Amino acid sequence: MSAAPGFAAAVTGLGLVTAAGVGVERAWREVTTATAPRGVVRPAELSGLSCDFFYAVDGAELDTDAVLGVAETRLMDRFSQLAVVAAREAVADAGLDPGVWDAGRVAVVIGSAHGGLPFYDAQQAALTEQGPRRVSPKLGALVPVNGAVSAVCRDLGARGPGLAVTTACSSGTDAIGTARTLLSAGLCDVAVAGGAESVCARLLIASACRLRALSTRRDDPAAACRPFDVDRDGFVIGEGAGLLVLERPEHARARGARVRARVLGYGATNDAYAPVAPDPEGTGVERALRAALADAGVSPSDIGHVNAHGTSTVVNDLVESSVLHRVLGDGPLVTSTKAMTGHTLGAAGGIETALTVLALERRLVPPTVNLDTLDPLVPVEVVAKAARPARLEYAVKTSLGFGGHNAALVLAGG
Amino acid sequence: MEIAEHVSALLTQKFGVAAAAVRPEVPLRQLRMDSLALEELRLLIEDRLRVDLEDVELTSRDTVGQLVAAVRDRVAA
Repeated sequence: MSAAPGFAAAVTGLGLVTAAGVGVERAWREVTTATAPRGVVRPAELSGLSCDFFYAVDGAELDTDAVLGVAETRLMDRFSQLAVVAAREAVADAGLDPGVWDAGRVAVVIGSAHGGLPFYDAQQAALTEQGPRRVSPKLGALVPVNGAVSAVCRDLGARGPGLAVTTACSSGTDAIGTARTLLSAGLCDVAVAGGAESVCARLLIASACRLRALSTRRDDPAAACRPFDVDRDGFVIGEGAGLLVLERPEHARARGARVRARVLGYGATNDAYAPVAPDPEGTGVERALRAALADAGVSPSDIGHVNAHGTSTVVNDLVESSVLHRVLGDGPLVTSTKAMTGHTLGAAGGIETALTVLALERRLVPPTVNLDTLDPLVPVEVVAKAARPARLEYAVKTSLGFGGHNAALVLAGG
Repeated sequence: MEIAEHVSALLTQKFGVAAAAVRPEVPLRQLRMDSLALEELRLLIEDRLRVDLEDVELTSRDTVGQLVAAVRDRVAA
């Protein structure tokens, strides 16, 4: 199933919960003006690991128990809680009222790589240390990747299709592409789509350390995530949620909604190459990008901006930037916002697509924070140090995930 | 602290039930305590009161008073 070519899903609402800030305006201000990330912490869960730091949402900015109430938070692991907070913001931003909308025509499509891993780990510990009688009955409800979808559907009263999309670090981008397809096919009029992740979980991060995928810059964690920099040494995991309200264009028009941007094209591929490493030639992400451009009917030379996956691993940033150059040429202003948010895995595509919408809307490309010396092998123009004003008509969001997943979106201004 | 107070504290703190709603004659389902919540509550009471409720049958048709009585039986046993 694919969307009708050029189907322009209207983006009418945004919601962000990130280590750079809670709420769209706060996060955008931080991402476009800060010269260093403020969200990097050293949680007790990670003590002693070679990467013992993490991008966390500021507890002073978001007290989930206070915002959601314990009656609700007890039925959600943290990734779901962050999703609900972002969904409420996005729906309010869109001017939609869940009290009166046609609930059966509202879809929720949320990407996550790992779901409720912290709760899973805690219950594994309970099983090991205290035995099976002390294990919570909630595991099957809270842990699965669809936990965030279920929580958002309950919270909003959204009763159309509810889908979890799980393609590792491209989950959020694939969720938005999938939501656009559902809208185009007429399965819904409104879709709340994006990603959510929160995995400050010792087991997973210990494993990622052993994989040598994470930065080990323990003497300067705030400088550790440095996409496209010659001294980059791996990614840094973060938590967050980024959700968009997408609508069928005539639905948005009929209710006089403000259209902040449009999702015009989507492409998804798999490398069929390796479980972790991307195809070194980048043929998979190239095919995804070309498919998204063809779907959108937009010429590569029209792309003014790319919010790249840009994880700050040696291989990703080289492979991805080479493909961007091969397909799009010298034109686009490329950035990675991960130095501000961390790599939020399945949430990344949701957060970064929301930031791409803001870049189009405000004609401003956020800088790649921590980029001091561009890797000479990176062949594209990367915006560093300060946000760059630019007249942008079309932009691209790319994502790559473990498992060989690649996803690309083409967006246009409203 | 009396057993009823422990149960009431758990219902308000862990399940977000309004304190004023916790009265002996109120059925648990009226407090939105479904079967999942009751199994969770069983573990919480066991941990808090160091009691074994494994073979106590809990249903959301029971009232708060019946729950407290069942726990009291086990504490006494």
